Amino acid sequence: MNRKYDIHILACTFLVVLFSCKHSEGEYHNLNDKIEAESKNYHGTAISSEGLIDGVKTVEITEGEHTFLIPERKSQIKSFACIECHNTGLDKLQSKDIKKAHWDIALAHADENTMNCATCHNGDEMNSLHTLTGNKIDFNNSYKLCAQCHSSQFEDWKGGAHGKKVAGWAPPRASYTCVNCHNPHDPGFKSRWPSRYNTEQVEAPQAESGH
Amino acid sequence: MSEKKKWYSLDLGLNRKKSDTTCGCGKTEGGCGSHKPEMTDDAFLEAAVNASIGEEVRKDGFEQVFDVKMDRRSAFKKLTASLLIGAGAVSTSCSVISGDDSKEKAQIDWEEQFKGNYKLMNDDEKKATVDRLMRSYELRTGKNISMTAENAADDVLFGYAFNISKCQGYMDCVNACVEENNQDRDSQMQYIRIHEMKDGKGFNFNEADDNYYHEVPAEGHFYMGTQCFHCDNPPCVEVCPVSATWREDDGLVVIDYDWCVGCRYCMAACPYDGRRFNWSKPEVPEAEINKNQHYLGNRMRKKGVMEKCTFCVQRSRKGQNPACVEACPTGARIFGNLLDPKSTIRWVLENKKVFRLKEDLGTEPKFWYFMD
Ligand code: SF4
Ligand code: SF4
Repeated sequence: MNRKYDIHILACTFLVVLFSCKHSEGEYHNLNDKIEAESKNYHGTAISSEGLIDGVKTVEITEGEHTFLIPERKSQIKSFACIECHNTGLDKLQSKDIKKAHWDIALAHADENTMNCATCHNGDEMNSLHTLTGNKIDFNNSYKLCAQCHSSQFEDWKGGAHGKKVAGWAPPRASYTCVNCHNPHDPGFKSRWPSRYNTEQVEAPQAESGH
Repeated sequence: MSEKKKWYSLDLGLNRKKSDTTCGCGKTEGGCGSHKPEMTDDAFLEAAVNASIGEEVRKDGFEQVFDVKMDRRSAFKKLTASLLIGAGAVSTSCSVISGDDSKEKAQIDWEEQFKGNYKLMNDDEKKATVDRLMRSYELRTGKNISMTAENAADDVLFGYAFNISKCQGYMDCVNACVEENNQDRDSQMQYIRIHEMKDGKGFNFNEADDNYYHEVPAEGHFYMGTQCFHCDNPPCVEVCPVSATWREDDGLVVIDYDWCVGCRYCMAACPYDGRRFNWSKPEVPEAEINKNQHYLGNRMRKKGVMEKCTFCVQRSRKGQNPACVEACPTGARIFGNLLDPKSTIRWVLENKKVFRLKEDLGTEPKFWYFMD
């Protein structure tokens, strides 16, 4: 008899435990638990960004564990291919009399001790860039040059904490690369007027007193 | 579908007309006696009232509305409904010059007036109300809008992250939000607020400047944005006396503008100042109206209802980023699917030092802040 009683208690306890952890019913102790539990069986969604990035020419890159699309660059550079003018050494192209090519580019990136044109541009092969150690880098992969110094930004960009998406949040991931937001010759964001007045709160007196 | 409706609806015969496009006279449009009787207005009105009220004349106002015989095949059946809807509709219907358009308008108004809560609608009912709203807009303005009623997709839970180190106070996000969401151009309502805060003072909302207008970023200041955080445990939803606001399966906290009674309880319950009440009907110049709308999102609201950020439901359920995320020039705003382990928002949550506002309240906002 006693034994039966015990079993009853056990069964009841078991039931209580079962129902107090209502994971199967979609209730969780906190949001993190919910995200963790519900993403365990994640198989993708029906929503896709593919249509949204249709008009943008992209290239796929893999950096570490991240593989994603970035906009193709070379077709966006107006004066590409560079060798159409740079078909001979720089020293031969230089002259005092005619107006300078690239007169509109002023380098405002680090200081003269750190950077000049040749830090990124490959003088031996003008159609491409090169790293600090002289390895050739394609214009489409210009982010590799930025990553040489801006390593923490590079880490964040790969993960998605730095930078912007090309179109939507849904897969496939297509992220803008460094030069889509930053002018590599003058990369800082400028101070400017806000694009609109930050209007007063409609109910300023009441709402404010609540704070 | 009509048998399964959760609310009362009046059939004026307009719906039937679609399958059987003839009336007694064989014509499809107005012009025969049964559509537009040729009498003087007054005589016509009297006849109409008699015919439509008939035996209901002894009933009370309420019953007159709800006990109308639905199958009456009288020449005045359209008039009956028009009378019930209101005096304005009566004059339209009785006017000899008014066409089927105004009658259709009256029918739509009726259906819209007595439809149920969007939250309880099935897909057919959602589609029906969206179709009515689009048709109504077309009848009133002659222009077309596209309104959808997409449901939450499976395996999606929307989340948002805001990089405080990146925000420069440019306000491009607010501009984009106002345009995207058809917010009133005259009033001062903005779903997003950008707070200018002094360096070294932490998040001091009391001393923050929400009305700055000078070149940004200002020396010695940082900027942070707030909006509705789409709490996973939203206190605003609990307090609504009519269930006009709720959390959808993809985590969006939404409002049925047609069900909201404007009591503003939810506004008082929100600990984050996330809700906005419109004191006047939002007016947007026709050319600036965003015609890609969602029932729960940026469709034109009426006066006296609650509004707020919806993470641009009309965009996000199509895979797009909310307008603020797209507009931000500094990349301070990150949006994505919390259930996708490969999404960038998940990477941010797992690799950056993130925090939320008033976390101890247990509201579980799906809006995180972080710094570089
Ligand atoms: S931020 Fe406010 S309005 Fe938005 S879900 Fe949370 S409590 Fe509700
Ligand atoms: S204002 Fe509208 S949404 Fe808010 S609590 Fe009242 S009825 Fe509900």
